[in-house]
Amino acid sequence: MSTTLPTTAVTGRARTTSRSPLGALAGFAVLDLRRRLRSRAEMFFVVGLPAFMYVVFGLGSEDPVGSGNVAMYVMVSMAAYGAVSATTSVAGSAVLERTLGWGRQLALTPMGAGSFVAVKAVIAMTVAAVPVALIFAIGAATGSRGTASDWLLGGLLVWLGSALFAIYGVAVCSVFRSENAAGIASGLVVVMAFLGNVFTPMSGLMLDIGRFTPLYGYAALARYPLTDGWTASGSHDPLWLPVANVLAWTVIFAALAVWGVRRGQERV
Amino acid sequence: MSTPVPVPAIRATGLTKSFRVGDGSTVTAVDAVDLTVAPGEIVAFLGPNGAGKTTTVDLLLGLTTPTAGTVEVYGEAPGRAVAAGRVSAVMQTGGLLPDFTVLETVQAIAALHGRRDRVDEVVERAGLAPLARRRVEACSGGEQQRLKFALALVPDPDLVVLDEPTTGMDVAARQAFWQTMRDDAATGRTIVFATHYLVEADEFAARTVLMKDGRIVADGPTADVRAAFGGRSISFRPPAHVVHRDGVDPAWLARVGQALAPLGVTDVEVSSASLEAAFLALTSPTADLAGADR
Repeated sequence: MSTTLPTTAVTGRARTTSRSPLGALAGFAVLDLRRRLRSRAEMFFVVGLPAFMYVVFGLGSEDPVGSGNVAMYVMVSMAAYGAVSATTSVAGSAVLERTLGWGRQLALTPMGAGSFVAVKAVIAMTVAAVPVALIFAIGAATGSRGTASDWLLGGLLVWLGSALFAIYGVAVCSVFRSENAAGIASGLVVVMAFLGNVFTPMSGLMLDIGRFTPLYGYAALARYPLTDGWTASGSHDPLWLPVANVLAWTVIFAALAVWGVRRGQERV
Repeated sequence: MSTPVPVPAIRATGLTKSFRVGDGSTVTAVDAVDLTVAPGEIVAFLGPNGAGKTTTVDLLLGLTTPTAGTVEVYGEAPGRAVAAGRVSAVMQTGGLLPDFTVLETVQAIAALHGRRDRVDEVVERAGLAPLARRRVEACSGGEQQRLKFALALVPDPDLVVLDEPTTGMDVAARQAFWQTMRDDAATGRTIVFATHYLVEADEFAARTVLMKDGRIVADGPTADVRAAFGGRSISFRPPAHVVHRDGVDPAWLARVGQALAPLGVTDVEVSSASLEAAFLALTSPTADLAGADR
């Protein structure tokens, strides 16, 4: 049998070993972030809407709360909602990218599932910094009052804590993997914001239930410097409670996210 | 041959992949496939939809794990070979981001491979330079396909797997694409491609693997596969006066048939029989490996 296999001598191709994996991810993240910030419609909803809600609910509320006033309390809450909306939305679109098959393209690169989640979380946090900075600036200009640590710690906690909801967005959307997943994730954020004592002060049974929901720990922690743990209904949370809430949900969301992302690489 | 055998580009042994479907039963998309591809080979995967080509591609790329059997790429697990940039692919189901530009897309993938130095070269190679600043959503299907090809070249892989690579391209773009691949193969790259354009396998691949129902039903030099299963045929050019705009004069054809019958010729067909005959003979539901009789 005469075969016609090519007889080209094949040697290993010259290959420059990859540079630092972190540098590779950073280069990718910068390109991806720039793409997100170009989306004007999304920026309006992520930044404009919570700022508007602060103006409506918080502006001019001078009654004292903890070491500051009600305006400050609303400002931190709305900044938290804005940051969480940003991270959830960025993460949701990340999963839409995967349904378009971009995820399979990325699966042919050295970037693993864990790195994908991390890159998207970093991008989401960067976007989340925008509403936090803007709403805090508006608050500062319109009578929100608190101590320096209320501002600094509150701002940092709102911003850093929003990372949890980037993971949440990736988790929800990669588990459901439908065009509606991003909408479901954002809608659930609104529900969780009510349950989590973010939009309106709760009391009694609803507050007891709310303590176990994901936004409660995060928002309570961000307001802790201001409120020292006292809720609007007069009950008190020890510091470990919101911390435990955040840690527990971080573990849950991260596990779901890694599982969902891995599953997404398999063709249906 | 006494030269030491190099590590195969692909070695699959008993490779099997089953999926659970909605009603609880399982479908075996790839069924006990044994396959070895040597470095530098150009191999065509032919088969109808559902033959298991794309699942095989996924297994080669480590995007899915085999239910049974093993597959190695250059002696490594596929996932490791992909991470090391030794194997890459143009996937049928791969996707692009509509709001990136062409150039940004290449830059993003190149960043992940740590090969930003390759951006200009692959953009040039895939003929994308004039489109570099265009958004992906504004590109035609063929242009997007060329972009996916550029992405596959980014890590300068030893093995490129192409799943229906010319989908959406017009004839000219298709020819240009295969010319690029030919140039690439000359540098020693191993190329495995799945296609349903039989002429592409015929013209481009030295070796053809025919798949049906997840199994390999033929594997050999393309010319042999064509000859063994497609039969032989003789063609001749009819005189001009019997060729009309709507085909060859049937009365004349009938006379040709009568004239040839005493010689044992059983059928006269107007076509350019090729690998297509083999393809249809082997993959039709009533496949009869005894031979193609048309």
